[in-house]
Amino acid sequence: MTAAADDQDPHVLRELIARSQETIDRLNLDLARRTNDVRIIQQISSEITSTLDLDEVLGIVLGAMERVLGFQHSMLLLAEPAGDTVVVAATRGYGRPSTDARVRIGDGVIGVVAERKALMRVGNIGTSLRYLQAIRARMQAAGQAPAGEAPAALPGLPDAQSQLALPLLVKDRLVGVLVVESAKPNAFDDLDEVVLRIVGNQAATAIDNARTYRMVDQLGRLKRFFSPHLAELIIRGGADDPLKTHRREVTVVFLDLRGFTAFAETAEPEEVMGVLREYHAEMGKLILAHEGTLERFTGDGMMIFFNDPLPVPDAGRRAARMSAEMQERVSPLTAKWRRLGYELGLGIGIAKGFATIGGIGFEGRWDYGAIGTVTNLAARLCGEAKGGEILVSTRLAGEIEDIAETEELAPLTLKGFARPVPAMKLVRLKPA
Amino acid sequence: MGLLPDEIKAAMQGVIPSHVVTCAADGTPNASAISQVYYVDGDHVALSHQFFNKTKRNLAENPHAMVWLIHPETFDTWDLELVLDHSETSGPVFDAMDMQIEAIASMVGMKGIFKLKAADIFRVISVVKTSGERIRR
Amino acid sequence: MIPDRVFEVLHGPAYMQIGTRDAALRPSHTLAVGAVVHDDRETVTVFVPTARARRILADLESNGRVALGIALVSHEAYQLKGSYLSTRPTDASDLARQETYRKALLDDALRVGYPDEIARPLTQGFAYTPGTAITFRAEQVFLQTPGPGAGTPLA
Repeated sequence: MTAAADDQDPHVLRELIARSQETIDRLNLDLARRTNDVRIIQQISSEITSTLDLDEVLGIVLGAMERVLGFQHSMLLLAEPAGDTVVVAATRGYGRPSTDARVRIGDGVIGVVAERKALMRVGNIGTSLRYLQAIRARMQAAGQAPAGEAPAALPGLPDAQSQLALPLLVKDRLVGVLVVESAKPNAFDDLDEVVLRIVGNQAATAIDNARTYRMVDQLGRLKRFFSPHLAELIIRGGADDPLKTHRREVTVVFLDLRGFTAFAETAEPEEVMGVLREYHAEMGKLILAHEGTLERFTGDGMMIFFNDPLPVPDAGRRAARMSAEMQERVSPLTAKWRRLGYELGLGIGIAKGFATIGGIGFEGRWDYGAIGTVTNLAARLCGEAKGGEILVSTRLAGEIEDIAETEELAPLTLKGFARPVPAMKLVRLKPA
Repeated sequence: MGLLPDEIKAAMQGVIPSHVVTCAADGTPNASAISQVYYVDGDHVALSHQFFNKTKRNLAENPHAMVWLIHPETFDTWDLELVLDHSETSGPVFDAMDMQIEAIASMVGMKGIFKLKAADIFRVISVVKTSGERIRR
Repeated sequence: MIPDRVFEVLHGPAYMQIGTRDAALRPSHTLAVGAVVHDDRETVTVFVPTARARRILADLESNGRVALGIALVSHEAYQLKGSYLSTRPTDASDLARQETYRKALLDDALRVGYPDEIARPLTQGFAYTPGTAITFRAEQVFLQTPGPGAGTPLA
């Protein structure tokens, strides 16, 4: 536009005006697009922040990518608690969804974005790959084999040419990665980046809130069955999903109060509840302290097991120690109850074996259950135990003999067991 | 606003390779293909430097360069007259280029082997659109 | 003096670019549209669109230094460096060579999978007439394929 204009020459003038008009048209188009995008962003952000349901939030974000911003292929990956992968949580425009596909931090565009926590836009993936593959081939031919392996198939379009990936961050903590991609090279521009950054910011907070909400909700449910420490471990992914059916070798501890039935029939309801409350409180503290899993309690009976959902190397010893401490703890209680006129005593049975474990119940009411011979055995041993006694299956002898003094018993005839069961009495813990 | 027009950005995505000519102190020119010229701002571009090659050696002796770009959709072409300003091994420009190289390198199992050594930042002296080279239908 | 493979590539579907420089060592660039190696295997003539030739001819006439980079789509690449000898307008036989060259470029681009709407403008879109033939003596030949060995002198 610096050409000196002879403003007497209509031809030159017309040229100048034509060129100015082109520029104005282009700027207007740009402005219209920007204005439209601002409106879109406002709309999206109000939708995103309107819900705490994680799946809804993911759906809104990707729906916006497609319908409103025109990105045909998009994905949301969420950071895993363990911290070394991001997992595909939602996709749009792929036909076959690849949720649960994982990307290791540092692999490919998505992995590097997660690692560096910075946005990346690439428009020449095919060209770059071919270039590097050519170099790699020459290095191999020259005997300079590059050490690395290409990562296993990355989620998304198999031949994506363009990708725009941004980290979803809440105060520098990685929540996940938002990706849009295209089979065309150079598909995304500066304005796409700007828009995505803004939406990404909103999405990061909304997703983080929804995830936290979901975790707190789950934590509440899990805390009914597990110690808070264990519940948190499960949420964070340190233990497997306990409600999925699985088989595990567990050590089971069964307790109940001798004389409770008679007591419950004759005592006042308030007194019964009082005793139960005191009993549960004390037993509960010990279960938490030894990190056992409380599977159920029905009145005075309680079933606890070890090695699930969190595997532990010393399940038998924990069971033995907890049981000994329970007897110790209940002793002053039974003395107190005796003074009040109630003859109550704690019997404990311990057994070890395989059980099938998982969620039992129905929608809205799931319980954590264990089924197997081992639970029956522990219950029967408990039934045989007198007040103050701990009866243990001899299968545990090897495990506990160095921490507990035991006394062998004559094999017991137990209901539901065809042959007499060898058992021993746990007399006391050996001094440490 | 700078010398580089917005429309040139598409030619700086590395979709079609660019060319660079440099010149040694002894006056011998060197013509080489380059994967990508990076847009820094309206008056600056960057070239990535992975291997120590003749282009790099020439620039150490003589900072002038001529770069040729082609737009991957319109096939418009540009000549950029450049002068090497400085090299960076850290900072936002380096990091952005490094990230991209690392991502693609990881996809072919060359992470750590093919990596950005430095980002050479050039000042743009002139931009000439050489559409006269194109046969227009 | 020019190795067999480089001879082959110079007559094949290689993308070619010429580098020159002025008195202040400021480089210039132009695309070449086709080339031919003379029988002595040292002299090379490249064809440059006349519209682009002016700047590089000024350089060549002032200092005579020239570089020719050639690259196949597979990234196999070479560079020749040498001294300018002469120039003349392209003639009918040059044009015929250029047509052959351009066809070869197009076929090659299609062969490796570029869609027609990219292969055609990419390989056919550069003006080649009126053309200027620039002849130089190749004094050095280098391997320029990216990777190990890049920069190795071949002659």
